Formats: sequence, C-alpha cells, structure tokens
Amino acid sequence: MDFLTGMSYWGIILLAIINAIIVSRMKIVFHGEEEDEEEKRGSCSVG
Amino acid sequence: MQCGLIRDSIDRWALTYSPGIYTCIFIDVKENSHMEYIAKYWVILVIMIVYTAFCLLIGQWFKKKAAENVDAFYVAKREIPGWAISLAFFSTFISTNTYIGQAGFSFQAGLSWAWVGFYWVVFCMISWLLLGPRMRVQTAKLKSVTIPDYFDYRYKSSFSKAIRMFSAVIILFATLWYMTAIAKGCAHLLVSTLGMSYAWGAFLVIFITTLYSVLGGMYSVLWTDAVQGLIMFFVAILMVMIPAMYVGGWEPLMYSVAHTPHLTPKGQPMGNGLMTFCTLVSFAYITSIGLAVGMKQISEPRCLIRFYSIDNAKSMKFAMIATPIFLGVSLACVFAVGALVHGMATDQEASYLVKHTDEVIGFMLAKFNNPWVTGCVMAGLFAAGMSSYAAVSIIVGTAIVGDIWTVIKPLEPKKQVSYTKRLMWIYSAIVFIITLYPPAGIVELTAFSGAVFTAGFFPAVFGGLFFRWGTGKGAFWSMIIGIATTVIWRFGLRFYLPGMKDIHEIIPGFIVSLIAYFIICKLTASDKPDEEHLDHVFHTKKS
Repeated sequence: MDFLTGMSYWGIILLAIINAIIVSRMKIVFHGEEEDEEEKRGSCSVG
Repeated sequence: MQCGLIRDSIDRWALTYSPGIYTCIFIDVKENSHMEYIAKYWVILVIMIVYTAFCLLIGQWFKKKAAENVDAFYVAKREIPGWAISLAFFSTFISTNTYIGQAGFSFQAGLSWAWVGFYWVVFCMISWLLLGPRMRVQTAKLKSVTIPDYFDYRYKSSFSKAIRMFSAVIILFATLWYMTAIAKGCAHLLVSTLGMSYAWGAFLVIFITTLYSVLGGMYSVLWTDAVQGLIMFFVAILMVMIPAMYVGGWEPLMYSVAHTPHLTPKGQPMGNGLMTFCTLVSFAYITSIGLAVGMKQISEPRCLIRFYSIDNAKSMKFAMIATPIFLGVSLACVFAVGALVHGMATDQEASYLVKHTDEVIGFMLAKFNNPWVTGCVMAGLFAAGMSSYAAVSIIVGTAIVGDIWTVIKPLEPKKQVSYTKRLMWIYSAIVFIITLYPPAGIVELTAFSGAVFTAGFFPAVFGGLFFRWGTGKGAFWSMIIGIATTVIWRFGLRFYLPGMKDIHEIIPGFIVSLIAYFIICKLTASDKPDEEHLDHVFHTKKS
C-alpha cells in the first residue's frame, strides 16, 4: 500500500486524535443549564 | 427472481440476483417444508427475533415517559447521555447503503476508496465542533423542538412562519424517497436472507420500526439508535476480518490483493491498482461522493436533531470526542472490505462482481459460509437501516404536526403528541405503498435529497447559530436560491456541460446558498430581530 492510500486509513485515526485534543482544550458551558434544571424541576410542558 | 452466478464450490447454496438491489442470497433450491426452512435459517431467525424484540421492548419501556408532553416525545426532554447520542448520531448518519453499497464499491475502486470515509470524518468533526454545542444551547433557550421551529424562533421576523412551513415541506418531500430507499433495501435483505416475499419484508421493516418509534418517541428512537450503533460498530470490525479469516491471515490476504490477476470493469488488468492511490478511481469522484454524503452531517435534520437531546455540557464534550472515533473506525473497516474480497474471489467471480459491486458483501458472506457470522452481519445491516428509518420517521411526524398543523391551527400539547403519532403511521403507510412500487432511480433521488437539505438548510442553521446579523429574509431566500441552484445544476447543467459530470450538485448549491445568505442578510438588515432577543439567544446579556 502506498503512502497516499495508507493515509486515508491512518489519517482517519489522526483526525480522531486531533479532534480529541481540540475538544479537550475547549471550554463547553451550557449557559441555559441552570435555567433548564429549574424548568425540569417545575413544569415540563413545552408546546 | 432469477439465478445469477452459481458457485461450484458450495453445492447447496446459490448466489443469485434480486431485482433492485444486488445481493447474495441463500436459497436452497430443493427447499419445500417449514421444518426444513426453520432448521436451515434458525440461527439468523433467532438473531433477528432477539434484535426485533429488544427494539420493541425499548419502545414499550419509554411509552409512558414519551407521552408526557411535546418536549418528551420530540426531544426526549434533553436528558440523554452523551455516549448514547454519539452512537445515535453515528447510526443515524450511516445507513445500509454504506455497509453494502460503499463497502462493495471498493472492490472496483481499491483501498483508496477510504478517502471518502476521511471526508465524512472531517464533516463529522465540523458538525460536532461548530454546530453541536451552540445548537444545544440555543434550542434549549428558544424552547425549540424541531429544526423548522428553530428557524421560526431564532429569526423572529415576518418571514419566520414562512421559513418554518417551507422547511417542513422540504423535509416531507425529501424524506419520502430516503425512507422508501431504506425500506426497499431492508426488504430485499429479508428476501435474501430468509426467503421472505418482498411485500412482507417491506411491511415488517416499516411496521416494526414505526411501532417502536411511535411507542417511545424520541426516547426509543435514540436508545435503539444507540444500541444499533454499537452493533454496527462491531459488525464493521467483523466484516473487515472475514476476508483475512478466509484466506488464512492478513499477510497472505494483502499479498493476494496486491498481486491480483483480476480485471477492471473495462477489462484491463488491475495489477497493484487496488493498493495504489487513485489508480482505479479518480480523486475528483472520491471528493464528489465524500462531500455529497459527508455534508449531510452539517445540514440534515435527522443528524442535527441529535444535538437537541444531550443532557449536559460534560456529555456534549464526551460525544464530541467519541463520535468521530465510532464513525472513523467503522468507516476505515467498511471502506476496505470490498477491495479485500478480491482475496476470496476466483477470476470468474471477480469478473462478475466488479460490474455488480452491490453484491460483493453478499458474496463474501456466502463464500465464508458461517451462519453465525451471516446472522451477526445481517443484524448490523438491519440496525443500519432501521436506525436511519426511525430517525427520519419521527422528524416527519414532528414536521407535519409541529411545524405545519400547529402553525395553522394551534393544538393542545397532549393532542400534538397524539396527532404526531397518527401522522407517523399515515406517512409510513404512504412509504409502504411507494416501496411496493418504487420509482426508477430511487437511489439517485435519495442522494439528490441530501443535496437539497445541504443547500437549503446549512446557511440558515449556521448563520442562525453564529451571526447576530442573520435575518429571516436572508434565511428564507438562501433556501429558495440554494434549492433552485441544486435543481438547475442536477437537471440542467451537470450532465450537459463538458467536464462537469463529477461536480455533484451539492457543491454549487452549497456555495450559492451561502453567498445568497450573506448578501441578502446584509441587504435586509432591518429584518434583524430586536437586540433583547439576540442577547437572549447568544447569551450576551443575562435575560
């Protein structure tokens, strides 16, 4: 298997690793989380 | 059903051709009694019955919870863990076509075909990194439960209702062909594996999938999708191991693939073409398929709606890491299978299969001839089809009731759920009838509907999530212009202009609709929602 053909396989693994590094450095906050929790504890009716 | 290639090496089994989808079929030519039938197929029957019972059990389990209110039935109250959503996204995006069609095509295209999978993983990352977190936050803030109602609540303009109803109509039209194609593929699998009639196969697949989707709403759709995703993941790994097990190891397999005496469809020797970059297929074609299918992850409602249901930020982060891994590993396995099957095929078999690549996976299973392996792979193929069908089934029900009916005539939340269930049944009945008499070119229609979604929905979704200056008029007209460009390119230009055949309609449709969105939003700045609304949506000020 030549380099470019093989790259499609190990490249997929490399992409997954790069993605994991990017995500682990991201700060993800659901701003509405507290409000949602309050809503869940109260009425759940959304229509 | 006519008999195609009969293999000498296995006297009881015949490799046959079934109209519509080419697949390997296990038929005992002398079979005539029920007992013989059960004795022969019991392994596959047991696996399929356990699998079906499990799906229905999940539906029944969530029946009461899903019926509580609209939020529960439509988006599972946004309380599903990240790992389940991750698997559900993967199983929804990948359908039977990938495990049969794309896997088999590498028999003709070689191992370079995995570049298509590479593109798909790139778009999976884009979808989760760019769209996922914002979509979850904004839709929760806006109390949006469908993609069309997101357009309505986010853009809050005189065009909002028009965008909502128009996008719901697009969903109804484009989804019909997709559901028909899945039902048709699964029905042919039942014909092939269990000798069932096509009509009964279509009925069972549609009925069972709709039943568990209606019973448990988004809860059962997501949880069955998650289980189906897990099955598909392991089946992908199993599939790539079959040629190696047959030949006696990876080394002899790779040697035979690299030195294959088999011919291309044009009759030229393949040589080492299966192992070298783009010798048997152009990179332009790989890119075209890679973009056309991969971009569905950033635009199709069946994928985007997954983001709505994640329970918290920690889960989101986990799913953002896990989804490209599930997808990537599965695709790396599945896209190699066809090329590796050359190691199992004789010259005569290869000369047939290279022109009928949809039969490659069936051929591989027949030649391997292990009922347990066949049963497990079949369960994976059904999982791929049913997970996609269930996902779009609920999208359709919510679009009709939530985005068309309630806009025209508001409904009580309880009635909305009940009407959604009924409409899901009615739509599935229509799909069943069309599946019995499928129009010609259904596969092309399905691929085309993906392009319509991308050109129509992506700018409105992306702009809505990221740009405060996005307007309802910009979203509406970008949809119209994007879809019109897609239609014109597909039916008026692509096959008539020299050198344009490999340029899939998704590319011009996507570019033109994106440009249209930017220009029209800037020209219609007065249509922008008020600052208070935008602060609420973008969380730029405590509201």
